[in-house]
Amino acid sequence: MSGRLAFLLVATGFAVVAGVAIGPVWVAPADVWRALAGDGDPVVRAIVLDVRAPRVALALLVGASLGISGAVLQGALRNALAEPYLLGVSGGAAAGAVLAVAVGVSAPSVISVAAFAGALLAVALVMGVARAAGWRADPRVLLMAGVVVGAFANAAIMVLLAGAPAETTRGALWWMMGSLGAAQWRDAARLALVLAVTGPALLHWARDLDALALGHDAAAALGVRPEQASRRLFLTASLLAAGTVAAAGLVGFVGLVVPHIARGLVGARHRAVLSVAAIAGGGLVVAADLAARTVRAPAELPLGAVTAIVGVPFFLSLLRRIR
Amino acid sequence: MSVFLLARWSTKGRLEAAVAAALLVLACSRQETRSAVDDAGDPLPPAEMRTRIVSLSPATTELLFALGAGDRLVGRTRWDAWPDAARTVPDLGNGIRPSVEVVMAARPDLVVLYATGDNRDAARAFRAAGIAVISLRIDRIEHFERATRLLGDVVGEPVRAVVVADSVRATLERVRRATDSLPHPTVFLHAWESPLLAIGGGSYLSQLVEIAGARNVFADFPGPSPQVSFEEVLRRNPEYILAGPATLRTIRETPRWQRLPAVRNGRILVMDTSLVGRPGVRLGEAAVSLARLLHPGVLP
Amino acid sequence: MIVFERVSVRYPGAAVDAVSHVSLDVLPGRLTAVVGPNGSGKSTLVRALLGRVPLASGRILVDGDSSVDLPPRELARRVAVAVQREEPAFPITGRAYVSLGRAPHVGAWGTDPREDEWVDRAAALAAVTELLTRRTDELSGGEWQRLRLARAIAQDCPTLVLDEPTTFLDVAHEMAAFELLSSLSRRGAAVLAVSHQLNLVSRFADQVVLLSRGAVAAAGSPADVMDARILEPVYDWPLVVSHDPAIGAPTLVPLRRTMPHDD
Repeated sequence: MSGRLAFLLVATGFAVVAGVAIGPVWVAPADVWRALAGDGDPVVRAIVLDVRAPRVALALLVGASLGISGAVLQGALRNALAEPYLLGVSGGAAAGAVLAVAVGVSAPSVISVAAFAGALLAVALVMGVARAAGWRADPRVLLMAGVVVGAFANAAIMVLLAGAPAETTRGALWWMMGSLGAAQWRDAARLALVLAVTGPALLHWARDLDALALGHDAAAALGVRPEQASRRLFLTASLLAAGTVAAAGLVGFVGLVVPHIARGLVGARHRAVLSVAAIAGGGLVVAADLAARTVRAPAELPLGAVTAIVGVPFFLSLLRRIR
Repeated sequence: MSVFLLARWSTKGRLEAAVAAALLVLACSRQETRSAVDDAGDPLPPAEMRTRIVSLSPATTELLFALGAGDRLVGRTRWDAWPDAARTVPDLGNGIRPSVEVVMAARPDLVVLYATGDNRDAARAFRAAGIAVISLRIDRIEHFERATRLLGDVVGEPVRAVVVADSVRATLERVRRATDSLPHPTVFLHAWESPLLAIGGGSYLSQLVEIAGARNVFADFPGPSPQVSFEEVLRRNPEYILAGPATLRTIRETPRWQRLPAVRNGRILVMDTSLVGRPGVRLGEAAVSLARLLHPGVLP
Repeated sequence: MIVFERVSVRYPGAAVDAVSHVSLDVLPGRLTAVVGPNGSGKSTLVRALLGRVPLASGRILVDGDSSVDLPPRELARRVAVAVQREEPAFPITGRAYVSLGRAPHVGAWGTDPREDEWVDRAAALAAVTELLTRRTDELSGGEWQRLRLARAIAQDCPTLVLDEPTTFLDVAHEMAAFELLSSLSRRGAAVLAVSHQLNLVSRFADQVVLLSRGAVAAAGSPADVMDARILEPVYDWPLVVSHDPAIGAPTLVPLRRTMPHDD
């Protein structure tokens, strides 16, 4: 069992190394090493330290965040198909980004902020809708609120894109497919901040997740206030997911599949699950990003497409095992 | 102008006149001053002799060849096919969302980008690596003149730039004079079928068509490729349709176009898209080819 | 120890109280049983204790403090409750599940160094040691029920509340469960068992409270409550209470309303 965990750590480490050493341009390993040490050809240094390294760092952070967020939502909603974007995050973020692009904003950082704001607004809407519908203990009401807000966001996006020039549509579509192509150290620092705030909080509440996973009444018997605990778990996990969307657009399947991998490796106790999900998620996204930028080099595949292509068969195999 | 003003006013008003004149001169000269930003709003790189240039759009690649800087190109996009010499320049992939790594590996001292929102990230990345970047975008003929000048300055060929711009302008003038006195038929320029896009007044193609002696029915739409409704096309009832070979097929195969008299009467003119497809150094030739389509025999 | 003082509970939107002015004591050293027909409010009492439904009136005192004033973790340190329905969303090993009972005693970041000891002891008492290595999705209904009992025992609280602890259990395990509850109470725990198994209750409980439509219909020793004149109107079914000396406790025998030759 810990052998498999060790394998996961090694695999993630390997992915990180590969991510920095491999790219559309061939750089000899010795040159990679020299660049990391701060020496050697300035162009190689720029490629390794300014183009590849921030991407790998951001990929690790995005993957870890999505893994953790997905695991929290699956536990709190008691649903194996829950994923980080469930509570309005994807719809709201996409609507915010598309709105920014449609009104002519081209500065990536502004689009990022618009996406983040859109996500938070959508999550607030979902919670509000659920509360108005009398959400006392039923996660299904929350899920339905998420679907409703998501559908509304999609409608808004379609309206915005219908009258927009081709460039806007292309830009919006690209954003929605997820990409780390623009990764800079600044973006990684911002997401690291979000993760530094939400991650420890979620780990702190891992015990609550264990109790919630048994059902609301049983959770109460173990000393948890089910509604309050669920609410803060949803909000924190959605905040983390919103952070990843602001940094990299919509990257699907990671938050859905990684928690299952984690549970398969270390069981269902959430402190372990969240930690392993972070590592597995990070490694997975680093590997996916590496594939996205090398498979059809010099063109880049959208990250969300790669994670979906890899994620679907993986998920099917998971389903068979559950049966 | 300033002298005229001074002569009109009395001695007492001369100070005011002088101030007004000075402001006027300032205003005029501001218009003549080279702008300090490129088409993406970023500051221009300094004018230098650049020896390793990567050009990431077909229009700028052919412009650089025209400026005599073609042998200094170390990278182009996969779509840059003209002139023939361009094919020997290494292909670095797409011009929109280029691979930063691949471009950097070519060790350029200047990257010429197509100015669009999608390229903001790339521009930022190149600048952060200390590579000079200029973002250009040519939608109209006057943008071509500006781009030629800016590019000429930045790569160290300001004199050639003037020559190229003047030569293109001269050809356009020649075409305009030849067709000026002829009747101008109305034309519809079909850009895309679904959604239905026309070439609007904001596009160089619309300007070329006017120069070539026709009237674009959608010239009153300010954008380069506005979305129009089919009913509007019917209402404006153009005498001719101008389309590329691919669009010609679409028009022939889509039933609704039969409702247009121009189509029923076979008045569809096929443009040479390799010539008119982009606003580059061959604008003059493009105008000539359009004029020959619209007014056969005018320009031998 | 738990004291229910004239507790009333009404579900939102309901026309009548689910529990109406119920008073009952769960004292240390005794096995108290709450019985009654379906819908008589038995489980509602447990949910009110946990704060899952608000009290319309009355109070519930846990070791002297009102339950609404106690933070949930503190309540979970004083009372171990095994609720009626519990289902892990994701399969978990038996050992991991039983160790969840230690959660109220350990902080969010702490680990109990003696956790395994607690788990082993509780599992031995509940006779589920061989289930510790199995996964919860592999257990039968009865095995899961017994594992849940182990978890409540691992919680090591002075008071134990169990809502229908013998569902899915066969005769042997039923008896074993109640013998365990009885021995725990004799060792000083205050035990409350909500059950519909009148015969088991009558054999093991020290005190029985009969609920009917949310109110107390009868309370006292098993002999006091197990009377056909009391039970028949509550259950609305013809009953006979027999006294078999071999058993040593009153036995309820329901009669048939329809006979084979009546059809």
